[in-house]
This record gives sequence, C-alpha cells and structure tokens, in this order.
Amino acid sequence: MKQHPLCTDTEQASHVMDLAIPAQMKREWAELQTRRHFLGRTGKVLGWAAMASLLGGRALKGDAHGPAYGQPGADQLKLPHFAPKAKRAIYLFMSGGPSQVDLWDYKPNLAALYDKDIPDSVRGAQQLTGMTAGQARFPIAPSHWTFKRYGETGTFVSDLLPFTGSIADQLAIIKSTNTEAINHEPAIMLMNTGNMNAGKPCLGSWLAYGLGSMNDNLPTFMVLQTKLNTHENNQPVSSRLWSSGFLSSEYAGVGLRAAGDPVLYLTDPDGVDREVRRNMLDAVNEINRQTYQELGDPETNARISQYEMAYRMQTSVPELADLSKEPKSTWDLYGPDAKEPGTFAYNCLMARRLAERGVRFTQIYKRGWDMHDNVTVTLPIICGEVDRACYALVTDLKQRGLLDDTLVVWAGEFGRTVYSQGGLTPDNYGRDHHPRCYTTWMTGGGVRTGITYGETDEYSYNVVKDPVTVRDFNATILHCLGIDHNKLTYNFQGLDQKLTGPTPASVVQGLLA
Amino acid sequence: MFADRWLPKSKLTRMTWMAALALSLLLMLLPWIVRLDGKPHADWQQFLGRFHPLAVHLPIGLLLLVPLLELAGALRPALREAAGFVLGLAFAGCLGSLALGFLLAYGGGSVGTVVSRHMAGGIVLTIGAMLCLLARPWWAQKAVAHVYPALLICTLLAMFWTTHQGGTLTHGSNYLTQYMPDGLKRWSGLEQTPAAGSFYAKHINPILDSNCVACHGEGKVKGGLRLDSYALLMRGGQDGPVIVAGQPEKSVLLTRVTLPPDQKHFMPAEGKPPLKAEEIAWIQAWIQQGASPTATTLTGIAMREETAELPLQPVGDYSALMAEIRQMDQGQGPKLKQLSSKPEDGLILFTVDSSASFGDAQLAQFQKFAPYIVDAELGRTAVTNASFDTLKQFTHLRALHLEGTEITGEGLAKLAPLSQLTYINLSGTQVTAGAVAPLSAMKNLRHIYLYNTPAQPPPAAQPATKSAL
Repeated sequence: MKQHPLCTDTEQASHVMDLAIPAQMKREWAELQTRRHFLGRTGKVLGWAAMASLLGGRALKGDAHGPAYGQPGADQLKLPHFAPKAKRAIYLFMSGGPSQVDLWDYKPNLAALYDKDIPDSVRGAQQLTGMTAGQARFPIAPSHWTFKRYGETGTFVSDLLPFTGSIADQLAIIKSTNTEAINHEPAIMLMNTGNMNAGKPCLGSWLAYGLGSMNDNLPTFMVLQTKLNTHENNQPVSSRLWSSGFLSSEYAGVGLRAAGDPVLYLTDPDGVDREVRRNMLDAVNEINRQTYQELGDPETNARISQYEMAYRMQTSVPELADLSKEPKSTWDLYGPDAKEPGTFAYNCLMARRLAERGVRFTQIYKRGWDMHDNVTVTLPIICGEVDRACYALVTDLKQRGLLDDTLVVWAGEFGRTVYSQGGLTPDNYGRDHHPRCYTTWMTGGGVRTGITYGETDEYSYNVVKDPVTVRDFNATILHCLGIDHNKLTYNFQGLDQKLTGPTPASVVQGLLA
Repeated sequence: MFADRWLPKSKLTRMTWMAALALSLLLMLLPWIVRLDGKPHADWQQFLGRFHPLAVHLPIGLLLLVPLLELAGALRPALREAAGFVLGLAFAGCLGSLALGFLLAYGGGSVGTVVSRHMAGGIVLTIGAMLCLLARPWWAQKAVAHVYPALLICTLLAMFWTTHQGGTLTHGSNYLTQYMPDGLKRWSGLEQTPAAGSFYAKHINPILDSNCVACHGEGKVKGGLRLDSYALLMRGGQDGPVIVAGQPEKSVLLTRVTLPPDQKHFMPAEGKPPLKAEEIAWIQAWIQQGASPTATTLTGIAMREETAELPLQPVGDYSALMAEIRQMDQGQGPKLKQLSSKPEDGLILFTVDSSASFGDAQLAQFQKFAPYIVDAELGRTAVTNASFDTLKQFTHLRALHLEGTEITGEGLAKLAPLSQLTYINLSGTQVTAGAVAPLSAMKNLRHIYLYNTPAQPPPAAQPATKSAL
C-alpha cells in the first residue's frame, strides 16, 4: 500500500549499523540476531497472523468504514424498522433555554410567593451554575405575563405566545422534559447528539445515515441558522451540533446561510458553463476513485458524493430559494418577516419548502433564549420573532397535507429557574439555567396531539409525573420516523454506538398517536 | 356400634379434638378480634406480610398433592403413607400463610369485599385442612369411608375459590379474562369487563386517569378509593360506593367534583384544575344511564368519533422485481423504496428528483409495480388527468400525492376501486368542487387536501387571537 499523499512522516528510520555509536555496541547488536532471536520472532508473527485470520478481515483495519459508494445506508441497514408515521422531521431548536415558567408551565399560585425564597426541600441538591451559585437568596419570580386557556383542550399558554396558543389543540406539549447538563454547550450537545461530549453524530446525521435520501438533488439533512438579534444574549452555536461524528461526513448537516447567497460559491464563475463544470468534476471524481482504490478511506467516497451533491445543488438551491411563486396567502400566514432571508419566519417557510422537496431532516436554530437578566424586555422580542412563525409553519404544513407525515419538534436545551438571578423587582428579573424540567412540544406524523404530557411541582422546579429524559425524547422522535432506537447502531471504538447512548431509554408511548 | 366409631377413643385423641375445636373457633372469630380498619399499621407487619403472596404457594401445592398421593396410593401404598405427612405440612403452611396474610391486610390497611372474601376463604380452608388431617386416620383404618374424601374435596374447592380471590387482589379482576377470545367471553357471560370501545373505556376512564388516579390509584389510595379500573371504581372507598348506577344525585363521585371549588371536600383536591363542564356532563350521563362498562353510546351525548386508521394490508411478493428496484436506486430519477424493512408493507414511489420530466408516460412504466406501491409521491410532476388510468391499478395505494400538478380532477372517479386509499393531496391543483365529489364516496379516504384549489377557498390566514398582541 502506497504512502498517503498527505502523510509527511516519510523518513526511513536509519539502520543501527549506520548510527554514530561505538563499534562494540554494533557488534552486540549483530550478535543479538541469533537463531534463538529469529525463532522467537517467527513464533510471535505466526501467532499474530493466526489471530488476525481468526478475528476476520476487519480486525486490524480500524473502525473507519461506511457504505460503499452509491450504496444507500438505508438499504443495507434494513430501515425503517417498521412502517413509519412520519417520513421527515423539522426541528425548531430554541438555543439558549426558553423559560418554561413564562411560556408554558402555568403556575398561578406563584404570584402569592413573590420574592419569597424557594424552599430548600424543593431545590434539593441541584447543582447551580457559576452565575447563581454565590447568590445569598433565591427569591421566587412569578411570571410577569398572564396565561390564557386555548382551544377545546383548554390548554394554558402564556400571553407571549398567542399564535402558538391558538394551535395548542394540535400540539403535544411536554412539560416534563429534563436534562442532566446545566451549561449550554454540554446541554445542547446532549439534546442534539445524545452525549455531552463532542464527537458523536447528531440526530439529523443518524436519520440521514439510517433512512437515506428522498431527493438526490438536495442534502438529506439541512440546517438553517437564524440571523442574530442584537437585543438578545446570543450563545454561539457551532457546526459540532450538525456534525456526523464518526459517521461518514456525507451525513453531516448542510447549512444554508442566513444572509446573502444561501450557499457560497454555488454559482459558476464567469466563463465556466455547466459542461465545463461537469468535465472538471468527472476528472476530479476519477482521481478520487483511484485514491479510494489505493487507500480504501471511506471519506474519499464522501468527498465524491459531496462534489456531486454540490453540482446538483447548483440548480436545486436557486429553485428552492426562489419565493416569487409563493401565493399571497403564504405571506399573510407567515407575516412580513418571512420576506427577509435569515429571519426565523423565513426559515420556517424554507423548512416547509424543504419538506415539500423531500428533505429528510431540517433543523432551524434560533438563538437568544438565554435570559439571565432583563427578561421582561427581551422575552417579548424573541417571542415576537418565533411565535407567529411556529404557528404559520404548523398551519401551513397542515393545510398542505404535509403534517400527516412530517414530525415537527420545538425544543431548547434546558429550562430556566423559577427564582430570579440577580435583582428581583416588580418589573424585571433574570432567570438562570434549569435542567430539572423544561417544556417542549411536538406535532405531526405519529404524535398524539391535543395533550399535555408530564407535570411539574408547584414551583416548576421538579418533575412530579411522567418525566421525559433527553434519551426518551430522542427515542420518541426516532420512533415516529419508523426507527427502533436500540437497533440503529454503528460500531465504533468497540461499541455499538447509538443516538440514545448506553443508558436505557424508552419511547414515550403517551406521546404517540 | 356407631357411637363407638365416633367417640374419641383415648385421652390423647380427645385432647386433639378439643384443641382443634378451640383453634377453629379462634380462627372463625379472627376477623372480629383483629378488625381491618383500612389504615396502615406498623412497617414490620407490612414487611412480613408482603411475603404472603410468596408463602401461599407452598400450602396450595401441598394440598393439591394430597389427592394425587391418595389416588396413586391405590397402586403403591407407600405413596398413601406419604399423603398424611404432606397433609400435615399443608395445614402448617395454611396457618403460616394465614398469619402472613393477616399481617399484610392489617399492616397495609387493605379493606374491601375481595379482601374480606379472600380472608374468609383462607380461614375456611385452614379449618378444612385441619379437619381433613383429623378425619384421615379413620379413613386410613377403613373405619369411616366417606367423611375424609368429602372433606378433602370441599377443602380443595375452598382453596380454588380463595386463591382466585387472592389472584384478583394482586392482578385485578380482569386479569384472567382480559385476553380471553371474544367468543369464549360471550359464551361464559363475562362481558362485564369494560370493552375497549365502550363509553367507559374511551371517555370516563381517561377523565379519571388524568384527574383522579394520581391520588386514587395503585400508588396512592386516599380514602381507600381507587379509580383506575372499572371494578375498583364500582367498589368504592372506605365510606362505601361512589357510583350508584342510575342515580347521579346519590353518586358521591359526581357530588364531589361538582361542589364549589373552595369547599373542603371538592375534588380534585389540592388546587388541581377542576373537571371541565363537558367531562362532568359525560360522567353524569354515564351514571344516569346505568354506569355500564360496555355501552358504547349514551343518549344525549354526541361524541366526535375518532375512527381507527385502516391497518396496513400486506402487498404481494415482489422479490422478482427487486433487481430492477435496486438498479433504479443507484441512479438519478424516480425510485421505489420500501416503506419499512418488511417487504409486505409495500413500496413508496419517489419522483421528486426528476419531477419536471415525470409525466403520464413515465408513470405508466410503473404498471408492473402497481399492486406493490402503497404511497405515490407525484407532487409537482407533469402527470395529468390521464394518470388516473394507471393509478387505478395501484390496488394497495394508501397515499396519493398530486399536489401542484396539472390535474383538474376529471376522472378522479376512476380511483373509486382503491379501497385502501386513505390520503389524497390535490393542493395547488385546478380541481373543482364538482370534480372531487366522487371522493366522498370512498369509505377509507379520510384525508383529502384541497388547499389553494378552486374546490376550497383559502382559509382565513390569521388566528382569532391576533388582537392579543
């Protein structure tokens, strides 16, 4: 096997006899090469050879493997495991940790407890972040907003979310989601990849790997970033969150940019036409195929298919991003924000268009929910950006008949504390990270709608009924898409790795239609 | 002569009989000596008591062994000798289990008719075993022929009855019959278990489940009342039944949920949200009309019926076509993919890669796959009304996507034979109300999407709550 072109460690180790060492040592070395030495080494070599053949072909080749070029993973993996209710999913990721206390988890009794300390018995041994660990008091900050009943189910939703409230009957609201992490990066990694440490594939990559593509002209997994709003505390999100980890990089999420061209360098430069581009790609692919023949690195195949995908996206993405044919009713539904690329409303509209075009998994990141202070000023701003768009997306999918086989998920990485971080005044307060309970919702294919699942205590601090861990949450999402979370595995580092990790997880039956 | 046989012969035997009589009396008075008051008592009692369900199986097994040994003893006398010993052990086991059972009931605060019956059964059974033990020597000596066999049979019958009561306590009253074939259930007259489609199962039980069972369920049994099954609901709590069939005004359950919410006895307690007016109306009507576990409809209560989705019908064997399906998968263009790993779930036809060039002619090429396709994704393709001639052969089709196509709806009636079609999407086409009318005759076709078509004007875009912002 030839040296890899990128491998710089090509120097030959010099022989003992050429080294500048005393002649006596060289003689000793030569004498060591005895018959006994030879026989001993030969025995070991034979042993290793026997072991290699016993362990089978893959034993000494490392873990990097993937489906051969052009072989969709789904076909090999025998997926979906059972007939799915949803073919695709849209995940609205509320990065930063939305406040369940102010949006969903209605606790009218807290008003009477304004500025009283939350009982230690409720708080228990909960670890605190560095931001509130030094606080002398933990004064209860009741929500600044009132809640109203919505729909036939009479679900209470905050006045901050009137649009989403109006579709409460169509949602499965989960009040008992809970996580183990208390800081953004580990929590957001846990939600997306099932592990707090980087390096594992995210939900979208698992889906792309497991279910394969429905449209070869667009990526199977797409990520839409929402433009920053400078009023908010924007925790960064990074491509780690849509990384394919140890899976082939074909399954990583492909991002559309929030401003300017959705994909950079997508248009051919002047003087390069489609045919020239095609010829160039054919040549590059041929070279890559030769490299694959020689080195057998599956990432080479990933590279070939990514070049091909980019070529096809040169026509499919402009068509996708062309909103001129959207009827007036679309703009009436999503609101004026949707005309401006990069807004959450625009991304929701794009998510619907991606769903129509057979994209398996679309994840929209909306940052800015991390409100450690000034909640009463910033929360209405971000709710204003998100509320109508969520309503519009669900309504639009429903009226177009897409909600039957599309799963929609709304979730952040954790919730927020019922007590105030920093000063509590009648008009304002802050809220720290809270992992023990937070509210998420799902709707669409496979989900039992018009329900509220799980209950929290009267402080919105602990789950008292039907807890849903991040593992259970992800197992349920996979279930809706026809996947048994225990069976979608990938052997890496000696483990059958899976999204839900080694700790047992269960599909939340109460959430299923 | 007769008296001779019956009178105890020695002082020892007389003593034994006196002791037996005293023990029987004591056992019979036990329920009055140790009254079950429905309150939990010492933990150690519960700790020991919980071994009762384990310990009972020993005397049960031994008692069952006795008649077998006696019968087998006719052939091998040694076995009959063993029967006496086994019977003695069984009696000792009965006494032990009885004691543990009492600890369980008293310590754990269990009350109720089934508990009482189970307890009475246990006492009768123990006394029966003792009498058998005393009567057996006569029989063995062939002095009195029939008393022992009769006693043994009675004891065994008592045992079956008692163990059944015990099983009911542990597993619930419908444990045995839950999965009984329907025919057998009807034949045996056991239809009392709530049927899955009954009003109780579909509407009453879910209300109780989400509002009451947290405190009146398996985990917590406030006031001795459990509402997590029909039998328990009808049994009531420590103050008696809570449902009086036909008499809502006498049913405590209904009274308690309709009190003013600030009253002490109002349910659900502890500030939990009150039942909705609609739910109260259902409960009232259900009690009024007999609190039946099986009735599926109530007069005066109209429910939005959710009909179950048509289950997947297996398609035929298409393994001969697999090579072709795989070949399609390799290249660009339309593809057939399995709905799931089970081939019999059928195929999905995806055309989105090449939607602009996929027309009626291309669709016609899929004719040989027609009976295996369950989902045809033809949205935004170039198919026209002529496609219905091909599509009508897709006998197992469940979902048909035609959104954004040139379909005008003429010929939609040709789809009528597709008995499994549950979903059709005609959004963004030019279909008219008249053209889609034939679809309403298709029984399983429940999801018809006509958004943005002349058949359905676009709905109001804003929710009613817009003014709240």
